[in-house]
This record gives sequence, structure tokens and C-alpha cells, in this order.
Amino acid sequence: MPFLHLSFYSTFTLSALGLAFHRTHLVSALLCLESMMLAMYVALSAWPVTTQTSSSTLMPMLMLAFSACEAGTGLAMLVASTRTHGSDHLHNLNLLQC
Amino acid sequence: MTYFVLFLGVGFVLGGLGVASNPSPYYGVVGLVLGSVCGCGWLLSLGVSFVSLVLFMVYLGGMLVVFVYSVALAADPFPEAWGDWRVVGRGAGLVVVLVAGVVGWGLIGGSGFVVDAVDSAGTFFVRFDFSGVSLFYSWGVGMFLVAGWGLLLTLFVVLEVVRGLSRGAIRAV
Repeated sequence: MPFLHLSFYSTFTLSALGLAFHRTHLVSALLCLESMMLAMYVALSAWPVTTQTSSSTLMPMLMLAFSACEAGTGLAMLVASTRTHGSDHLHNLNLLQC
Repeated sequence: MTYFVLFLGVGFVLGGLGVASNPSPYYGVVGLVLGSVCGCGWLLSLGVSFVSLVLFMVYLGGMLVVFVYSVALAADPFPEAWGDWRVVGRGAGLVVVLVAGVVGWGLIGGSGFVVDAVDSAGTFFVRFDFSGVSLFYSWGVGMFLVAGWGLLLTLFVVLEVVRGLSRGAIRAV
């Protein structure tokens, strides 16, 4: 496994762990999600270079477009929770009482 | 030059580590900026300059700017910094995971630090990634329209979600 592959696997895994173990803020989880998307973008861009097939360079563009949609929706939920609860602290989201 | 590219690769992983162990979202955004700058530099070293510039403009210049002002809306007025013991403990745990990954990579026979760049077969008049992405407009026009429709739909989704509990007038926050 070349060093490039190790590097974006590590970044993806670290960000996934950060998403799983975030503490106080909702926006920290969204930042970890963005970091996962970044690692996937670099991986999808490095893959056509390794196999020398240029038509697969389309895929990171498409992934970035849908990742922008997802980031926008996550931030909209963040703003909605700040408007309703006053902050984005996760211990305030306790409607289910569980 | 090789060492500079390796330095960019290590910086990419450190940016991810900084986002995952952030004490406050302000510092998490710093880690994300570092990660994306190092990722762009790395893609430039491979020769695919178009996807690197798209990452810079769309991701760093578009999405991260939106994240920064959303963090300004949502984060604490007195954030805790990197020196708090809980943050250091969390960062140390993530570093342990990273070291375990590197040791595992060495054990399975990691094949070293050389990657073929895109110009290794000689430079061409039409560049590698430009010719690939231009397929968006010829054979990939269906996905192009789907992505555009999805972005337009997201605009209306965001407008609806942001209303929160009540409808109508613009509120203070």
C-alpha cells in the first residue's frame, strides 16, 4: 500500500472516530463529516492517476457537488437547532428523554 | 521535492487529527483548512491541477467559508483551548489509533513512498484531468443535470429546514 493510500485511510478513520466521539457541539460532528468528505475527494482524485484512466476524474466533481448539498443541509439543521434551543449543545436535544 | 510532498501528506493527516480532537469548533475549522491546503498541494504534486483548484475554490472558498460563519453563530463565547487535559487525552487516544495504523501498514509490507505522477508517460497537449472532467458535458450530461437539479433542490430544503419551530418573519438569530 503506498504512503498516499495510508494517508487518506488514516484521515478518513480519524475523522470517523471524531464523528463518533464528539462531545459538546453539533458543529464539531459536521466538521468531522466534512473532513471525511475531504479524504474521500483526495482518494477519488488520486485513483485515476494511479490507473491512468482520465474519465474517472469525473467522480470527485460529482462527489463534491453532493457533499456541498449535504453540508448545506447539515448547517441548516444546525441553524434550526440554534434558533429553537438557543445553542447547538447536544445535551439540549433531549426530547426523546432517553 | 520528495520530502516536501511527504510533508504535505503528513500535514493532511495532522489536519484530520486536529478536526477529530478539536477542543472547540474554531480550532476544528483550522484543522480542516490545514487538511484541505495539504490535500490540494498533494494533488498538485501528482499533476492533476484541475481537481486541486476545484477543491480550493469550491471546498475551501465556498463550503468552509459557510462553515466558519455557522461556527460563529453556534460556538461558545469562551472556547476551551488545546491545553485542557480532556482535549489532550482525546488527542492522545487518536494518536494511538494512528500509530496502530502505521504499524499495521508496515507489517503488511507498505510499499513505500513513490507514486506515479500523471506526466510520467510524457506531457500532452490536452491535460489529463481537463479531458476527464470535460466528459461531464458530453457523455455525462445526465449526471450533470441530476447534480444541478439536486443542488437546486437543496436550496429549497435549506430554506424549509432553517425555519425551525415557527413560520413567518425573520427572527433575531
